Amino acid sequence: MAFSSTNPTCRTATTSLPSKPHHLTTQLIPSRLPVNSVTVKTPSLISCAVTSHSMPLIEKDEEAVVHLRPDSFGRFGKFGGKYVPETLMYALTELESAFHALAGDHEFQKELDGILKDYVGRETPLYFAERLSEHYKRPNGEGPNIYLKREDLNHTGAHKINNAVAQALLAKRLGKKRIIAETGAGQHGVATATVCARFGLDCIIYMGAQDMERQSLNVFRMRLLGAEVSMEIIPLFLGIVGSLRVVSSILRIKQHGDIQVRAVHSGTATLKDATSEAIRDWVTNVETTHYILGSVAGPHPYPMMVREFHAVIGKETRKQALEKWGGKPDVLVACVGGGSNAMGLFHEFVDDKDVRLIGVEAAGFGLDSGKHAATLTKGEVGVLHGAMSYLLQDDDGQITEPHSISAGLDYPGVGPEHSFLKDLGRAEYYSITDEEALEGYYQILFDSVFSSIKRSVVLLYAAFKRLSRLEGIIPALETSHALAYLEKLCPTLPNGTNLVLNCSGRGDKDVHTAIKHLQV
Amino acid sequence: ISACGREPVSSKTQGFCLPSSPADGGASVACSALSHDSVIATSGSLNLSTTITRKSLTQTLIETEERKSTTAGKFGRYGGKFVPETLMLCLSQLEAEFKVVLHDDKFQAELATALKDYVGRETPLYLAQRITNYYKNSKGEGPEIYLKREDLNHGGAHKMNNAIAQAMLAKRIGRKSIVAATGAGQHGVATAAACAKLALECTIFMGRMDMERQSSNVTLMNLLGAEVRSVDGSFKDATSEAIRHWVNNLDSSYHLAGAPVGPHPCPTMVREFQSVIGKETRKQAMEKWGGKPDVLVACVGSGSNALGLFHEFVRDEDVRLIGVEAAGVGLESGKHSATLATGEVGVYHGAMSYLLQDEEGQIIGPHSIAVGLEYPGVSPELSFLKDVGRAEFYSVTDQEAIDAYRRVSRLEGIIPAMEASHALAFLEKLCPTLPDGTRVVVSCSGRGDKDAAMVLEHI
Repeated sequence: MAFSSTNPTCRTATTSLPSKPHHLTTQLIPSRLPVNSVTVKTPSLISCAVTSHSMPLIEKDEEAVVHLRPDSFGRFGKFGGKYVPETLMYALTELESAFHALAGDHEFQKELDGILKDYVGRETPLYFAERLSEHYKRPNGEGPNIYLKREDLNHTGAHKINNAVAQALLAKRLGKKRIIAETGAGQHGVATATVCARFGLDCIIYMGAQDMERQSLNVFRMRLLGAEVSMEIIPLFLGIVGSLRVVSSILRIKQHGDIQVRAVHSGTATLKDATSEAIRDWVTNVETTHYILGSVAGPHPYPMMVREFHAVIGKETRKQALEKWGGKPDVLVACVGGGSNAMGLFHEFVDDKDVRLIGVEAAGFGLDSGKHAATLTKGEVGVLHGAMSYLLQDDDGQITEPHSISAGLDYPGVGPEHSFLKDLGRAEYYSITDEEALEGYYQILFDSVFSSIKRSVVLLYAAFKRLSRLEGIIPALETSHALAYLEKLCPTLPNGTNLVLNCSGRGDKDVHTAIKHLQV
Repeated sequence: ISACGREPVSSKTQGFCLPSSPADGGASVACSALSHDSVIATSGSLNLSTTITRKSLTQTLIETEERKSTTAGKFGRYGGKFVPETLMLCLSQLEAEFKVVLHDDKFQAELATALKDYVGRETPLYLAQRITNYYKNSKGEGPEIYLKREDLNHGGAHKMNNAIAQAMLAKRIGRKSIVAATGAGQHGVATAAACAKLALECTIFMGRMDMERQSSNVTLMNLLGAEVRSVDGSFKDATSEAIRHWVNNLDSSYHLAGAPVGPHPCPTMVREFQSVIGKETRKQAMEKWGGKPDVLVACVGSGSNALGLFHEFVRDEDVRLIGVEAAGVGLESGKHSATLATGEVGVYHGAMSYLLQDEEGQIIGPHSIAVGLEYPGVSPELSFLKDVGRAEFYSVTDQEAIDAYRRVSRLEGIIPAMEASHALAFLEKLCPTLPDGTRVVVSCSGRGDKDAAMVLEHI
């Protein structure tokens, strides 16, 4: 599937960007900015050479809003950008040029399409979930038609491989022999290890120690694909200029084999810490190493690149919707952690105003408990991992530890483009709260007692079980967030609304977590 | 003792044919002339480079067999319906219904949609470049290895092709409850998923030992809403229990066979529903290189994925068919599942076929590290193909399979099921004998996530 470059090369007559120096030194530390401190003036004169698809203007009523997603500085409105140390600037520019070059390269496109088809197993079906639709029909027989975009059928079991495959090909073009990646649920780690095995590249995966425990199947898979793990704990004190966070200890892995999994113990030992560790590695080894970032977060050009590589999801959906019912989807629903699967589905339809975009985040123990990962609902704007975006931070600008039962959504930040779409009002973002959890509890048909289960995860497991029992598809816990939201959404939708939900991954990896909490 | 309660026919006639029943006419007498050395798979002499000889006679026999399989359920002298009286009517009804749906456009269209949107077909025919390079000799010559990616199916194995089709058939004839037996659990998971989708009740029988070895699949079945009943023993005992349950509940339940064994029409039905694998392969081979595959390789437990791949090409004499069984700890040790290599003809679970039996006709418990290959019998159709020399059967040990599992994971980033690893392991012996540029299609019948923990323990 071709990915279109939506970043026209533009010369702007006027640019105004904030040049506050402290941004550059705080790539790992968020800064809390007053809401209106960053402004971008609309260029009054633009000469553009658009490389492939041209982007129609998004009609806007009031003040001037940048309609380029992203613009040449990697910004989506005020979000995005490249808040990185000097050492990484060249690598990022090089990456961006390579990406644009390959966008027009037919050989590359053909190779990528062939791999997506024969290796990954695309295109994935758009499956009419008849029993699920029946479940949501109101007493008068009316309700939406629910379709599932089956990203769970991809090789390795999630949408992550779309991006991993393309970036691995890109890395080979750049002549990089060493790949690094971070992973939360392990799906991106498995996808990266898979493509590195396939292409014969050396690979190091950073994974939070807590995540390694709760996603052990994925750790097994990474080991089988080539990882050897042995243990030697070396405490390491790391000071970052201006920062109070100091200690991180890393489990050192002896260097056997081509693929390594490194456990990260700093912070909460989850995704954000793994990402920080991966970025540190990249800063150190930037000439030889390509960093396969797993989501639409991070410094430009990653949000754009990862989105483009996942955009195949939305493109296929458009085509399949036309085949199936001769129109477009009315509503798109996807779970949001970093935002890659959501962006992959939404991107194709962002300019179709009649298509509603809904992202569902993890509310963990509840939005007011402080233990959740609902960045777009409860976060504030700041800089994390190289990009300006919404993020969960306290009054001092320190990152709040996120929490979600699903490792893949357990990230305190979110892709800058999602932040932009939220502010623009183009996309809506919700999360699951406690009351809804209880409601969901009583809707479970087949079940026995939930003894020590947290109230807020009940809805999640309800959704997890519901799809298993009604359609014989076991969804990932991440996907289950989107599925759980259907409980609230479907009663509000008119009869015959065509709803497409991104079934972003399969739930085999979550089965052990599920049986701990469910009486199966 | 087979499920019908009769003593299995014990015959020491490996390589020869019994006098056939009058209905078969004289065709099967010719069998004895055809068993030739290349087909007898012992660990000793392997003549891997022979191609099929005596074309016209084999062709005639195959055509005769095809005519017969749709009528009496016989493949040469194999197959049949060795069942208690109570089942005979049920089987005839099933057969009639099956014939109807084969030609019912509406059913076929619905099935095609389910296969496409639910199961995720068609599965790719993937050129495994790194495996191909691995098997190149010092001059850079070697065969081209393609993998038929049944591991990408919903459920993770080829079993779903058959499960969804039969579940749809069961719904059509008005059955509300499905019963099945499973070994590795893949057929159980596929059946449970299909039943969830079609709102049918589902009961799965699984051997206690198997439940322990493939516990992740048990959890999946439970999550999908199926009831899993444990049976003392392994797959063969689970199958016996499922058939007993079926006999007691003929009007309400439907026995969903996962393997092309059992009484007619089960072997034919399972084969037909799995034959989509071979049909796609033919089409994809034509697209990719404008020809047919030269060699097809598949693992053989009871034979479902093998028949699914082979059936389309049985009449193409220039396509070599190779089945790979499990040699377990080794053929001499007696702890293996290599039915076609060392078994003798008898009746088991309602069909006449090769099976692992001792001097007194008692079933020998099979062993393999791959749970899905652990069946002491085999499809009657494969027994027939072996006897007429159309297909060749070899075997591979546990250790060779584990090595292949790890090799393919590291070379291609595809973790194959332990069952499929047997077929992949056979490439070690096969590839050096093949001329340069031979196109080999290996059935990657399932993914190996379920075996990950076990393999890591072994390492």
